[in-house]
Amino acid sequence: MCNALGIINYDDASAYVEGLQDYRPMPSVSFLGRYRLIDFALSNMTNSGIKHVQVYVKSKPRSVFEHLGTGRQYNINSKRGKLHLLSGEEPIHSEIYNHDITAFMQNMQFIEEAKYPYVVIAPSFMVTKIDFNDVMAAHLESGADITVAYKTIDNAKEAFIGINTLTLDRDKRIVKFEKNQGKFKNRHVSLRMYIMRKNLFIDLVKLAQKTSSMYTLADIIGDNLNTLNIVGYNHKGYVACINNLDQYFKANMELICRDKASELFDPKWPFHTRTNDSCPTQYSPLADVKFSTIANGCFIEGEVRNSVLGRGVIVKPGAVVENCIVLPGAFIGENARLNYCIVDKNAKIMHVKELLGTPEDLIYVKRRDTL
Amino acid sequence: MRQHSMVAMILAGGRGSRLLELTNKVAKPAVYFGGKYRIIDFPLSNCANSNINIVGVLTQYESVLLNSYVTQDQRWGLDAKDSGIFVLPPREKSEGFGLYRGTADAITQNIDFLDQYDPEYVLILSGDHIYKMDYDKMLSDHKKNNADITIAVLEVPMKEASRFGIMNADETGRIVEFEEKPKQPKSNLASMGVYIFNWKLLRKMLNDDVKAEKSSHDFGKDIIPGALNAGKRLFTHRFKGYWKDVGTIDSLWEANMDLIYRGSELDLSDTSWKIYTEDITLPSQYIGRNATVKNAYINQGCIVDGHVENSVLFTSCVVEEGAKVIDSVLMPGAIVRKGAVVRRVIVADDVEIKENAKVGKPGDGEIELIHRNVHA
Repeated sequence: MCNALGIINYDDASAYVEGLQDYRPMPSVSFLGRYRLIDFALSNMTNSGIKHVQVYVKSKPRSVFEHLGTGRQYNINSKRGKLHLLSGEEPIHSEIYNHDITAFMQNMQFIEEAKYPYVVIAPSFMVTKIDFNDVMAAHLESGADITVAYKTIDNAKEAFIGINTLTLDRDKRIVKFEKNQGKFKNRHVSLRMYIMRKNLFIDLVKLAQKTSSMYTLADIIGDNLNTLNIVGYNHKGYVACINNLDQYFKANMELICRDKASELFDPKWPFHTRTNDSCPTQYSPLADVKFSTIANGCFIEGEVRNSVLGRGVIVKPGAVVENCIVLPGAFIGENARLNYCIVDKNAKIMHVKELLGTPEDLIYVKRRDTL
Repeated sequence: MRQHSMVAMILAGGRGSRLLELTNKVAKPAVYFGGKYRIIDFPLSNCANSNINIVGVLTQYESVLLNSYVTQDQRWGLDAKDSGIFVLPPREKSEGFGLYRGTADAITQNIDFLDQYDPEYVLILSGDHIYKMDYDKMLSDHKKNNADITIAVLEVPMKEASRFGIMNADETGRIVEFEEKPKQPKSNLASMGVYIFNWKLLRKMLNDDVKAEKSSHDFGKDIIPGALNAGKRLFTHRFKGYWKDVGTIDSLWEANMDLIYRGSELDLSDTSWKIYTEDITLPSQYIGRNATVKNAYINQGCIVDGHVENSVLFTSCVVEEGAKVIDSVLMPGAIVRKGAVVRRVIVADDVEIKENAKVGKPGDGEIELIHRNVHA
């Protein structure tokens, strides 16, 4: 799909992973031991053949820049391809003005200059496998002005909270956008993925800016349901909407299961990431690991159950790690017992022996913290 | 400033025929090692970590895979503008096809390559040894000694010394005698096949060697003894640490087993001297509800639901529920189905041990290489 500019959208207030996001923006949030969230959106784009991708980064962009580099690991070639890392050119301290439209306006020149007739827009916090060629084919076939990818879910009371739900007419035209307040089970939810002509996108961004300086892209699309032909694209397959800490935890946990994981991971549709050159993981004679996802470079001497371990995690003898997400480089000391914890990067659990959370009340251990 | 004071040349043309079917279609430097690596990752990573920017890789035997593997120089971080890994297989010349007739001849035939960089020093390496070494320290020794040639040596047990090329050196480290596989070794300093030469001298010696009728065009047999006889300044550089030439199935198995124990001399988890390799695009390893994993070294992409003990599992291996893998090495993509038992073997890449099949046996006999699918 060489006729579209890819845009990975700015974080917005409706998606915020408590704790983890104090240290890095949404795109760099660690996922499943070896990925960062943006790997999914960006791999979807490059696997679909998109050659020029703009990534909008809200704050603390260092980790995103470092992770993405030139984009070579995502198959973006250096001459004919381009990975554009963009942030708001002027810092805006007031959160209400700090949204995607402002960022697009500030980088309008680069959007206008891109030589592609279409834009494909996706957020970094939807973890899924999607071929944008299919969405584009549907878009062209329906003749829509805008195609919005959505998913039909039966757990809207817990998931996709704060994300728009769609009401569709018989022709899949979207007639209503409404924020999911968690009142109903079955809903069509927007994946915040859009395809439209680039000119229309530019017009909408400018219109949003004029209408209200607080307007987001989702708002202006919602305003134009009557004036534009906006159609839904039913995306089937696994989607995790990582818009809060609970959903982050749930997605990591459910993807331990092989059946779930195989809905997302397909050898023909690889999710690329930055290699860390970690050695394989070492299990000592004392190791006791069951039902877990373990990244490379770990050294395990303790017990691990139903957990996700990031790269280079060390679990000492006598330690018990259960129902936990342990981010890269963390250290779980001797005889420590952890249940329902999220341990951030390079944290050390040494002197505290028990950290027992519950599914409803997860314990978050800060980055580089020593407990 | 001279950008490339030292250029490395890696000799990677050998077959390693005692590795049996593992080297049927690939040269020995491309053989898998250590859960995710190929042997040549070690000298290449050592070069990158020693700040060497230009590396020539001399390939000959079954070189297609090796050539395409090493040209991806970003894997070892040698992808900056003035860096690179360059594959140098034999080529057709105006006087005929230039098969490499020996280790020295391989360099002689690429004098034009080296001349492009006009280096002060040339580092000659072997592509099939497993070790971590800072060549920059060796170069410091070389300069300090005002040497013509520096040879890296390691102490081997005296009783094994007769298997190696042995250097007899004086107290300053200057080599006075070199003996290839001596029956009565006078020292236990074995050559590691790692040499630093002053390029001007080596260039001249190679040009002379190519004309010498009786020469076998080999560094150990011809160039080094010739330089000694000519009174050149040859010095040793002492290396301490893990070094292995995995020539046989047994020694390949053993070297893999060395990695299972933390505290092994070859610590691949040391982030100050990483060994770089291919970037594998696969999710993390999965350890299932029925799995027991003890004393193992396992790479990403593996799916383990059976029993794994004292074993090394390379990328994407599968061990199904009820299967047992003990004292074994599974190369990439090997599959051990339900109820199968695998003991003291190396299972070659993509080989499948079918349901309830049994391969290998306990004890201390030779390690078997399983290179075809096995049925019950």
